[in-house]
Amino acid sequence: MKRCLRDSRYRWGVLLVLIMLGMLGTSTGAAVAADADTLVMALNRDQDNMDPHMHFQRVGIIMNINMYDSLLHKNTKLEYEPSLATAWKTLDDTTWEFTLRQGVKFHNGDPFSAEDVKFSFERVLDPATKSPQYGNIRAIKDVKIIDAHTVHLITHKPFPLLLERMVFFPIIPKKHFEKVGAQTFAQSAPMGTGPYKFVEWKRDQYLKLERFEEHWRGPAPFKNLIIRVIPETSTQIAELKTGGVDIIRNLAPDLIPDLKAHANTYVSTAPILRTHYVELDMREPPFNKKEVRQAANYAIDRQAIVEKLMGGLGKVVPTVINPLAFGYDPKVEGYNYDPKKAKELLKQAGFPNGTDITMHAGVSEAFFRQIAEAVAEMLSEVGLRTNLKIWEPGPAWDKFFQGEGKATNGFYATWGYYSTFDADAILHPLYHTEPGGWVGKWYTRVPGLDDLIDTGRSTLDKEKRMAAYTKVQSLIKDEAPSIFLFSQHDMLGVNKRVDYAARGDEWIWLYDAKLRK
Amino acid sequence: MTAVLLRRLLRLLVVGFGISLITFLLLHLSGDPVAMILPEATEADRATLRETLGLNRPLLVQYGSFIGRAVQGDFGQSFFHRAPALPLVFERMPTTLLLTFFALALAVCLAIPAGILTAVKRYSFVDHLATLLVLLGQSMPVFWTGIMLILLFAVAWNLLPASGWDTWASTVLPAITLGAFQAPLFLRISRSAVLEVLGLDYVRTARAKGLKEQVVIIKHALKNAAIPIVTVIGLQFGVLLGGAVVTETVFAIPGTGRLIVRAIQQLDFPVVQAGVMTLALIIVVMNFIVDLLYLYLNPQVRIS
Repeated sequence: MKRCLRDSRYRWGVLLVLIMLGMLGTSTGAAVAADADTLVMALNRDQDNMDPHMHFQRVGIIMNINMYDSLLHKNTKLEYEPSLATAWKTLDDTTWEFTLRQGVKFHNGDPFSAEDVKFSFERVLDPATKSPQYGNIRAIKDVKIIDAHTVHLITHKPFPLLLERMVFFPIIPKKHFEKVGAQTFAQSAPMGTGPYKFVEWKRDQYLKLERFEEHWRGPAPFKNLIIRVIPETSTQIAELKTGGVDIIRNLAPDLIPDLKAHANTYVSTAPILRTHYVELDMREPPFNKKEVRQAANYAIDRQAIVEKLMGGLGKVVPTVINPLAFGYDPKVEGYNYDPKKAKELLKQAGFPNGTDITMHAGVSEAFFRQIAEAVAEMLSEVGLRTNLKIWEPGPAWDKFFQGEGKATNGFYATWGYYSTFDADAILHPLYHTEPGGWVGKWYTRVPGLDDLIDTGRSTLDKEKRMAAYTKVQSLIKDEAPSIFLFSQHDMLGVNKRVDYAARGDEWIWLYDAKLRK
Repeated sequence: MTAVLLRRLLRLLVVGFGISLITFLLLHLSGDPVAMILPEATEADRATLRETLGLNRPLLVQYGSFIGRAVQGDFGQSFFHRAPALPLVFERMPTTLLLTFFALALAVCLAIPAGILTAVKRYSFVDHLATLLVLLGQSMPVFWTGIMLILLFAVAWNLLPASGWDTWASTVLPAITLGAFQAPLFLRISRSAVLEVLGLDYVRTARAKGLKEQVVIIKHALKNAAIPIVTVIGLQFGVLLGGAVVTETVFAIPGTGRLIVRAIQQLDFPVVQAGVMTLALIIVVMNFIVDLLYLYLNPQVRIS
């Protein structure tokens, strides 16, 4: 060793090593000192762009709502609150009048008016815009400006979901948008009337926002808002514990006890609309037979999944209609766990020795994988021997759409209802068979179901709607176009310096976050 | 000599072409991005978009136009980022290259002197200790090492940031994580390379001449032992570059690896193609440089 050190080349090597070690020792100021003016949230993936009309992802919604306002808002009890609209009423079955808030300013100081509202709707309704949110508001036929602060929304047919859809429909500034163009608006110059204004976006790193002092609600509690992208859950948790990050979302249930026990963190959960299910291909054997679909439903021990895999943070649902949604009928009883009955039904359907099936699963969160595996295992146990294929959600949908769903007998997925608390928000995409529809047009063949869904979505009469959905629930319970599973909770991890509670709509509304005294 | 160089260059071109073909085919076999861009649209809307993106043309035509534009550096617009694909990749390349370089430098600086030392002091305490460390280092997955380092240096001791890539302090843990996985390999290779050379006649002759031990090792033994070491370092550069994606994910570093993996999930063809082609070219060029180093280190190669 001594001899080696005498040689200059070795000395350089040793010096380098020492420098490296020195870097380790001297580094300071590592974790961001908790700054009373700054709130940091971490998400597991980035938004695609900052244009609130040109994406369909939850992370995008969560980022957008801090920069943009919609006509309506929901408070923590999920009741409608005025936002850009101060009052709203129906004039007839297809005409809605919204009175707009006066004195509201966009982040550049331009006044907000009816022109901006009309522009925002017409932009999304224009097929040339190719907005993925088109489907949410396609029921709207026309937007009429009555005066600078009154607009009428006219729908093709009576549209009971209109108010729900107004809670996330961000209004963008016509003048600014036309000046900078769509591309710049989406990449570097987004602007709304929301509580925070844009500062800087480094893709896959962070979005920096600053409080908009002239926001109509009054300035937000935190001056700076940083939304960081941290894909790895363990890293998010490390940052949360060290105070580098204040809020993280989508905790896997098995991580919750750790964060509950840690001195610097707490967990906040709330039941949300996200509902888990396995949709079945009713065109092809074996699920073209009702007995087999029912057998699949009897095969699943939902309670065990909720308790063991979800840490109790979920609720067994009788059908896909979430108890939080309008139209849910508590009188409809779900399938109980009865593997014996499942086997009997399979025998009746002509499968005394069971049969082989494939099931695809789109897995956006790590713990969804365990659920898909448990379901496959339980199905196999009663004789529906399941070949499970797990994909990222993207490729999963892609595989599905490519072959009109024929690549698989069923697929496991979750549906967040676009935060729309209404049975229609899941029934239409999953089960309606109209050609412009979503999965239902391929998979679902339940006589009479389309008509019931149509009845429910084209009247404003709540009793009539409720009656339609009650019928829907007993019909789909019996026909079993899906394996019905459970609804889940939103699970947030929060650093103790901040007060924030999870919401029932899967929003993270940071205007409500406050420094703990 | 020139012939050798030319041959190597030609090989570089063939490999580049092969990679482009494989990337293109694999991607197009993997599915239809239109379903991902418009998840809730009608079939007619999808057909329109497919036409706009040129995805309705025969595969061969698509490949032809892809290659034609790719050689000019145009990989098309990202389907999701609404921006040209290649600049997106270039924007992140420095981060990944820097991370790879730090990791490689760290691994080389630690492992090669240690490898030589253990070869010279064979069966000593140092040698046994090194063997143990090698075993440990190679059995720790990058993923796990990263998380453990975060838990120790960020959570327990609060010395370094847990994630990010904004200050020099935030580069330390990722570099160690990625480097720690490579160091054992370098140590083993350099140890056995030096050992092998030390047993050769010319080394015995040098010793017999009465040369000092360090002169024997540094002047005579090392140059020959360097060949396998350089090869492995060159090859591992590619492995590191590709493998950086795990480190990038754990430490939330906005590198090329993460960009490509995300693009694959979204079937964002232009970004995947631009990213894979760029990485592949860097690796191919790196191998070419290793070849050149051979020419310098090993005269035999110059002749054959």
